[in-house]
This record gives sequence, C-alpha cells and structure tokens, in this order.
Amino acid sequence: MKGLARRWGFWCLVVLTIAAILGERLFAASPGDQVAAPFSKPIWLGRYLPPTMELRLTADSPSATLDWRYSPPSGLSLRVEGPAGETGRFVELVRPGSPPLRLAPVREGFAADGRDIAFKRSLGLPPFKDASAHLFPERGEYVLSLTDGPSFEGSVVVRLEGGRYGLLGTDQRGRDAAALFVTGIRVSLIVGLFAALLATLLGTSLGLAAGYLGGWVDAVLMRTVDLLLSIPLLPVLMALAALWGRGLWQLALILSVFSWMGTARTVRSLILSLRDAPYIEGLRGLGASSGYILRRHLLPETFPVLLATMTLGVPGAILSEAGLSFLGLSDPRVISWGRMLHEAHSFGAFAAGAWWLLIPPGTGISILCLAFLDVGKHLEETADPRLRRART
Amino acid sequence: MSYWARRVSGAALVLGMVLALNFALFRMMPGDPVTSVMDPDFSPEARERLRQVYGLDRPLYAQFALYVKSTLSFDFGVSFLTGRPVADELRSRVPNTAALLGTSLLLSASLGTWLGMKAALRRGSLLERCVLWSGALSFSFPSFFVQLVLLMALASALPLFPLRGSLSVPPPEGGWGFALDYVHHLALPVLSLTLLGFGGWAIYVRNLAVKVMGEDFILMARARGLPRRRILLGHVFRTMLPTLLTLLLMSLPGVVSGAVITETVFSLHGVGRFLLEAVTGHDYPAAGAAFFLLSLLTVACNLLADLLYSVVDPRVRLDRSAR
Repeated sequence: MKGLARRWGFWCLVVLTIAAILGERLFAASPGDQVAAPFSKPIWLGRYLPPTMELRLTADSPSATLDWRYSPPSGLSLRVEGPAGETGRFVELVRPGSPPLRLAPVREGFAADGRDIAFKRSLGLPPFKDASAHLFPERGEYVLSLTDGPSFEGSVVVRLEGGRYGLLGTDQRGRDAAALFVTGIRVSLIVGLFAALLATLLGTSLGLAAGYLGGWVDAVLMRTVDLLLSIPLLPVLMALAALWGRGLWQLALILSVFSWMGTARTVRSLILSLRDAPYIEGLRGLGASSGYILRRHLLPETFPVLLATMTLGVPGAILSEAGLSFLGLSDPRVISWGRMLHEAHSFGAFAAGAWWLLIPPGTGISILCLAFLDVGKHLEETADPRLRRART
Repeated sequence: MSYWARRVSGAALVLGMVLALNFALFRMMPGDPVTSVMDPDFSPEARERLRQVYGLDRPLYAQFALYVKSTLSFDFGVSFLTGRPVADELRSRVPNTAALLGTSLLLSASLGTWLGMKAALRRGSLLERCVLWSGALSFSFPSFFVQLVLLMALASALPLFPLRGSLSVPPPEGGWGFALDYVHHLALPVLSLTLLGFGGWAIYVRNLAVKVMGEDFILMARARGLPRRRILLGHVFRTMLPTLLTLLLMSLPGVVSGAVITETVFSLHGVGRFLLEAVTGHDYPAAGAAFFLLSLLTVACNLLADLLYSVVDPRVRLDRSAR
C-alpha cells in the first residue's frame, strides 16, 4: 500500500471522490436551475461580453451606478421583492447623454422581462425590438435609481443577463456547466465501482466453480463465456437499458451481467494451477471439505489478483455508461458526463461553437479512466511482482 | 468431431442464442406491439383481429418457430415507425456500415501492426514510448468524445469535412461525383475510428514481437546469418500471424458496437443508427432485425477468421487428442 501514495492516479481519484461527495454543495444554485443565458461562454473567455449582473435597490440605497464596458446584455428582467405595497415610486434609468427613463413602478409583486411586449410598450418601444439592446446601447456610466417617495421594506432586483457565466459557461438550457460537470462525477463513480464490484463477485464465484468443480460445470460456463464474448455488447446493452428502465442501479446491474467473463477466466486459470498443488492435496488427504478448501485456501489466494482486475474493470463500466448516456438511453433527469455530451451533440452546441460543453465531460471521463488504470496497474504489480521487472 | 464441424456448430449455437435473446428481449419490452400501432378507442373485436394479423394470438413456441423461420429467410416484417418493410430499410444501410467498419479496421490494423513492429525493433526509442502512450490513451478515451472533437474541429470550426450524413442532399450527379461525395462523407468517420483503433493494435503487436524476438529460434536464425528482413517477415511475423488473427477475431464485437456510436455521431445512414432509432422508438421488428444483422456480421467474421487461422496455423486443424 506504500507505493500507492506515489501514484498520480491515486491522488486524482481522491480529489475526484471528494468533489463527488461535496457535489452541488460547491455551487450556490442547484445544477438543474437556469442561471444565465443559454450557451454563455466561460467567464475567462470573451472580455467584450457582459457577465451576468444582479442589482438590488432598496429604500435605504435607492441608486446604483453601472460602469458598462460591454456590448448590450442578452436579457433584462426586473422584479419587486418583499412587502412594498403601493409606493408611488418608480425605477429610473439615467443613460449617458439622454434624459432619465422611467422603467417600472415599484409596486408589490411587480415583475417584468425585457421580452414582454407590454413592458416594451410601456417604455415606448416597438414590440419587435430587443429591450436590453435599446436600454444599454453603448458603453458608459448608467445609473439605476428609485424616485423619491414614501419608505418601503422590500427591494427591487434588476437582473442583466450576460453572455458569459461561471468557470465553464452554460449549456443549451442556461444551466451552469461547471455545476453539471461536478455533479456528473458521482454518476461515473457509482456506476463504475458498483458494476465492477458486482462483475468481480459474479466472475469470482463462477470462475471458482468452473475451476474447482471441472467437468460439465466447467464446460458449460466456459462455453457461456465464449458466447458472451462473441456477441456485440452495445446493442444488447441498448435493448436492456430501454427495457429495464434507465436508473443508475439498473444500469450498473446490466453492465455487470455482461462484464464478468474476464474475471471468471482469470480466476479459473488460477484455481486450475492451484488445485493440484501439494498443499491442497494434503488438505484433501486430511479430510477437508471442498467448501472449506475453497473458502479458506483458494479464495484468499485470488484476492490480490481480484483487487487488480476489479480496478482495471472500472474504466470499461464507466465508458459503457457514458456511451449509453451519450446515445440518449439514460434517465434524462440524472446528470452525467455522457448525458452532457449527448445534449451537446443533439441540442445545437455545434452550431453555437460551444466547445466548453464538449471538452470538460470528455476529458473528465478519460482522466477518471486513466486514474483507475494507473491504480489498477499498481495493484497488479503488487499482486504479481514479475510484472514490475518486466516493465523496465 | 472434425475441426470444421466444431467451428460451424459453435457459430450456429451463437446464432441460435442471438435469435432466442432477440425474441425474448423485444417481447419483454414495455408496450404491447399492438397498442403501439392502434388507437386506444378501437373496439375489442378490432383489437383481436389485429392480434391475429400480427400472429400474437398463437402460442409462444409457434411464434418463436415462425420468427426463426422468417428471420433466417431475411423477412423482418414491417417497421412500426415507417410502415415500410424492414428488409428494404436495411438493404440500403448494410453497405454503408460494411464500408465504414471494413475500411477503418483494415487501416487501423495495418497501421497498428506497422508501428508496433517498428516499436519492437527500436526498444527504448521515442517511437516506442509514443506507441505505448497511444495505446493507453486509446483504451481510456471514449470513442464518441474523440469523434465529437474531430467533428467540431474539422467540420464545424474548420469546414473541411461535411457535418453530417452519408451523402450530400441532393447527391451529386454522375458516377465519379457520387463516389467522391461518398468518400468525402466517409473520410472523417474512418479517420476517427482508425485513430481510436491503431493504438491498441500497436501496443499488442509490440508486446508480441518483443516476446517472439526473444525466442531461441530467432537467435538461431540470426546465427545462421539470414538477412534481417527475412528473419522479420519469415520468422517473427510468421510466428505472430495466428495470434494477430485471434486478436482480429476478438476485436470484432467491439468494432460492431462502435458502429452504433460512430454512425450516431456522424449521422451516417447505417445499421447502427437504425438500431438506435428503433430501440428508442420501440420499433421491435426493426430493432430485432438490426440486432440480428449485427450479430450475424460478427458470427460470419468469426467463422472467416477461423478459416484463415486454419490456413496460417495448420496445427489447429488437428484434433485436440491427436496433438
């Protein structure tokens, strides 16, 4: 276990697991919420695009100055929060070089959006013109303020939708891609680990049975292995995923049912080489039962190898899950990396040139797989030191 | 039993399993086939008649026998979604899938073998390290991700290749223009599959070649003063050939699975995407037929590989007991 700390894959897995456990708690909004305009760029890209801004005007601080250095915002919304009643006040916008413009009355429950036709008409705009482009036509200093009037307790929230948001931008529904990315780790980890664990259990028990019992059990099991290995896997998985439902656990179960063959072969050959070893023969001569020999002597022998095959089996399960989700055969409510790529492919990320929806989930899958391969290789070398010498 | 009887009966067994699986799977799918084609307001008599038309009133074993018979004669019934015979739909798609998989498999296998041999000859060189890395990367990069990136870079951002489809709409007139357009549309999918595939081949060939080159008979051949080229081709490569064929055989199911994803990414007119559309649209006859065809392709290639194997390695034709 000492050498494990020197592997990059181990630390990579530790970091990703922590991120998976923390999950959406790292973000203010839930990953399913719309936070900004669709296909917003990452915040560090495109300085000419405005970020999303939210201004809050109250009776105590009735005005806010906006140093606007960007192209017009992609959207504008305004709403009155909290108990305000009928104040008789108005929200005013002072633009550079033009008289103040009354935007909206401060009235309890009032809400308006830049796309509303009624709102545009109240501003005297033609119904087909973009309100935000009209209100913020150029760079300069804008002042939003409340006109004088009686005091009130609520607040007026003015929100300017930007063209960039967060670390990784937003997707076609305006969700935070960084939050989606972090939430997606969990799905890959759960499905990968659970499927690999189940497949190892299945493969071990069947491999033990085939290797130790021999005879027709061995023949039947090995024929089944050959059969399963010669059927194209993905079509079967697709049919099963469509049939058994698309939940995470069902998916892991389906994947494990079709990936135990390698483990079974490994365990079988190991048992075959051990079965006739003198110490096993000795045990048999002492009258030990088959169950006892299997449980206390043969099974422990396979443990180091099993740990390695299990770890090396995780990437396969992760890739299969991602592939199925990419084909759109996963639960649409569950956010996963494959699902993100599916949505990027089918909902116009290409037309928008939104590469930030493509690169993070894809590299995420690859890095996770490489990390598991790295740790698996280490475990394999620990189980069989001959591999280490052969490597140099 | 002779070698061939064993091989053929094995293939028939796989095919039988596929048929049974097919029959069971698509009948367990949610939704009765009848309910998907008819109005819920139909009278019970009409419903019963429809069940008769589809043969759903007969016992299960009779349905299965009928299913096997019609499937083996390539009569796949009528698609629920399009209302056209499935066989017609598939006929136009099979050549596309075969062209995609055949070309990319050939390219990646030959490129991988060449690079792997080179790497084995130059141990410790930069080339060898590159081969080892490309192998590790190709195992852990999801195929659709690489393809999406290629598509975005070489078709969307830099429009060198078409974004989707197997042919332009409308297809160009004339034989040459048509062929050129087809190749143009196929180039990026084949390129991506080759990129994804060659690394695994190269790493395998390299490992195998290193092992074979350490054998005594290679040392002997060198001691006899045979030319280097002859040792490589006649001794090293000849010894590896059967194993390489097995590798080809083992990689086929995965390659066929890759067709579904590749055809989805590039919106190609092929069997794989047909299968996906059928599965998501609960189109049982179509899904069953596509699945059967993909399995048949795998089984047929398996048999072909066995045939080649027996040619390049005469030992396998002998009975196990005689050996």
